[in-house]
Amino acid sequence: MTLFHFFNCAILTFGPHAVYYSATPLSEYDTLGTSVKAAVVYLATALVKLVCLATFLQVSETEVFDPYQEALKAMIGFIDVAGLYFALAQLTHRNISQNHKFQAVGLGWAFADSVLHRLAPLWVGARGLEFTWDYVLQGLEANANLVFTISLAALGSLMWLRKNKPKTLIPIIYTCAVIIATMPSITSYLRRVMGWHFPKVVGFELMTSLVMAFISCQLFILCQRPSL
Amino acid sequence: MADEKKSKQRHEAFASMYPQLLAIMLILVACVDLCDAATVVDVYRLIQYDISGVPFGSRFSSLNHHAASLSFQRGADLSRSVLILPLRELDLGFLQDYISQKQSLGGLLILLPQTLRPGNINGGGETQGFRKLLAQLENLLVHGNLPFPVYFAFENEETDAMLADVKKNDALGQQATATTGGYKLVISVSEPKKIASPTITNIQGWLPGSRAEGDSNQLPTIAIVASYDTFGAAPALSVGSDSNGSGVVALLEVARLFSTLYSNPKTRGRYNLLFVLTSGGPYNYEGTQKWLKSLDQRMRESIDYAICLNSIGSWDNELLVHVSKPPDNAFIKQIFEGLSNVAEDLGFQVALKHKKINISNSRVAWEHEQFSRLRVTAATLSGLPTPPELLESSGSLSDTRQLVHEDAIIKGVKLVAESLARHIYGHQRKDTKIFADDSSLAVNPFNVRSWLDLLSQNPRVAPFLSKSEPLIMALKKELEDYTAEVSVQHESLDGIFTFYDSTKASLNIYQVASVTFDLLLLLVLGSYLIVLFSFLVITTRGVDDLISLFRRPPSRKVKMV
Repeated sequence: MTLFHFFNCAILTFGPHAVYYSATPLSEYDTLGTSVKAAVVYLATALVKLVCLATFLQVSETEVFDPYQEALKAMIGFIDVAGLYFALAQLTHRNISQNHKFQAVGLGWAFADSVLHRLAPLWVGARGLEFTWDYVLQGLEANANLVFTISLAALGSLMWLRKNKPKTLIPIIYTCAVIIATMPSITSYLRRVMGWHFPKVVGFELMTSLVMAFISCQLFILCQRPSL
Repeated sequence: MADEKKSKQRHEAFASMYPQLLAIMLILVACVDLCDAATVVDVYRLIQYDISGVPFGSRFSSLNHHAASLSFQRGADLSRSVLILPLRELDLGFLQDYISQKQSLGGLLILLPQTLRPGNINGGGETQGFRKLLAQLENLLVHGNLPFPVYFAFENEETDAMLADVKKNDALGQQATATTGGYKLVISVSEPKKIASPTITNIQGWLPGSRAEGDSNQLPTIAIVASYDTFGAAPALSVGSDSNGSGVVALLEVARLFSTLYSNPKTRGRYNLLFVLTSGGPYNYEGTQKWLKSLDQRMRESIDYAICLNSIGSWDNELLVHVSKPPDNAFIKQIFEGLSNVAEDLGFQVALKHKKINISNSRVAWEHEQFSRLRVTAATLSGLPTPPELLESSGSLSDTRQLVHEDAIIKGVKLVAESLARHIYGHQRKDTKIFADDSSLAVNPFNVRSWLDLLSQNPRVAPFLSKSEPLIMALKKELEDYTAEVSVQHESLDGIFTFYDSTKASLNIYQVASVTFDLLLLLVLGSYLIVLFSFLVITTRGVDDLISLFRRPPSRKVKMV
């Protein structure tokens, strides 16, 4: 309860980002600047998404799953992908290898996402007397999101930064990227239509994130061989 | 230059927005703070009052403790717990022992069944048994001095769920404290303060009679009196449908009937009619006394007799006429004969009950005693057989709408109206029915019902009614419709009673986790982060790097040697 619980949930939500940064060689090569730039790009993308959502989306009073609205939301979700492309490809980074570039960009992106979406509810809600599991689950979701973002960044760097890829792998890369990019729509579909509760959804997200990370890791390794 | 102006304008625009932005931020923060608890329940506090400085009732109002139920282990310390008692499982003996032994308790929350809620018309047979238990409980609480907050609440699903959970935990022997979780009940209100000078408001309506030509004497007056305020264990729930909502409703209906009669000069009687709604009833009828003293002496002497109405909503076959003058007094005989003749015609009985006034005793049990002390003939019509004790039968928690039968009130109205009419128009022994059922002067049951419903949803404890309370304004307006002249008298309730405010509050129920749970969670998260760290170091840099993190750098001493 109160501040103790807030502290626990905070380290669950933001701890992994710090641990990732310090544990991997990212800290050795001092890629903090890249992460910060990626975070700023995420902020800009979020603003653009908000404006588009406000303009094109109709607010429905009930929690009915409207396919058209969800399709619209998914399309707006692709602005995310465009932002990630901008951060990966267009921004000038210091000389860091591709390996580290996508990790740094993914980390910065996920950290900005966590802060924007989860810090405010955490500060406001976890400090109260009432105990709920919501904030712990939200922290777990943040972890899954970190893995998703890094996988997406890896696939993105494969798509846009690597020129020679084995032909057979290209469709797999693209399908995986599409799946990860539409993850929000999938979770909202599960929550509304299938009526899954929050713990179940978070469990599903964690499992899929691990699977996707494994697949994108394998793809990355496979694509790395020819260039070696 | 233009640039400077532009930036200055922009600065000013921002500066002008600061207060609005700040206000919005504060509102957001406040909103979030308020809707914090999972469950919020309306609770009503036990009354807190002093009689001549002796404290009674619940002396505290704010609450911040863990919940406990009756299944706790005997001998456990409840001084930092709130005991939750549903009325269905109340053990009065236990509570009595607890209070008389002055054992400390963090608080008491009594859960009442929904059927006793004011405004709830559905009542089952089960509520009859509860009423008796509730009356005994009220008696115990109102006359005791309880140094802890006592609140009443109505059962709903959330409280039922919470109580079941608390019982389960208590049965396992785990007392809910800071380290074992459970439910926390929080009521955050300021400490109760004395009500500085509570006002009692009397409303009187004057219906003048017609004077004969050349007659300069004052016309005689007949007064109909009813006290409208209540007193009960929970002032916010004391609606007093029978005591004395029924009396008020009957008075209003009689006023309506006679206003119709008196509106036509041909049928206006030779008596003035005075309809008085008094306050301060439970406190030895202080309002009636003050009203009588404020009356002009001549006016008081012109009152032929007064009929007071008290609790006429729940009687069956016999209505009682209580008097303080001896029954063989001529006036009393006349009044009683008139009433019993009419009652015979209407198909029920009235009985006369005599209680002498003891001048040295300040206790005034019936309203007519205040009249008798000033030598005005008066009687009280009531369904109560015995004189009520101090603060008894004046609108308790169990006195809700279901206790009252409209027919009883209608029979009472007919009795009073017909006997008045026979006295005024001199039809003493004739068998006429002026207020017959199908005539234009019939008693209107819808009027009775609607006023009864209104009164049954409005608690009316006098110290908590302001001078311009909507209910008082409504009663005044109703009397204004029926009588020629209405005057409102505000007096302050001095004397031996002192009241304290804070009668209603919101209870927040929090489900809290224990400190051990938080420590456990911290441990789990710490180990998760360490595992994650090691995993990442191993996969990206290799196992050697992980081990090297823990090895200290080789000391220089070795090199020098």
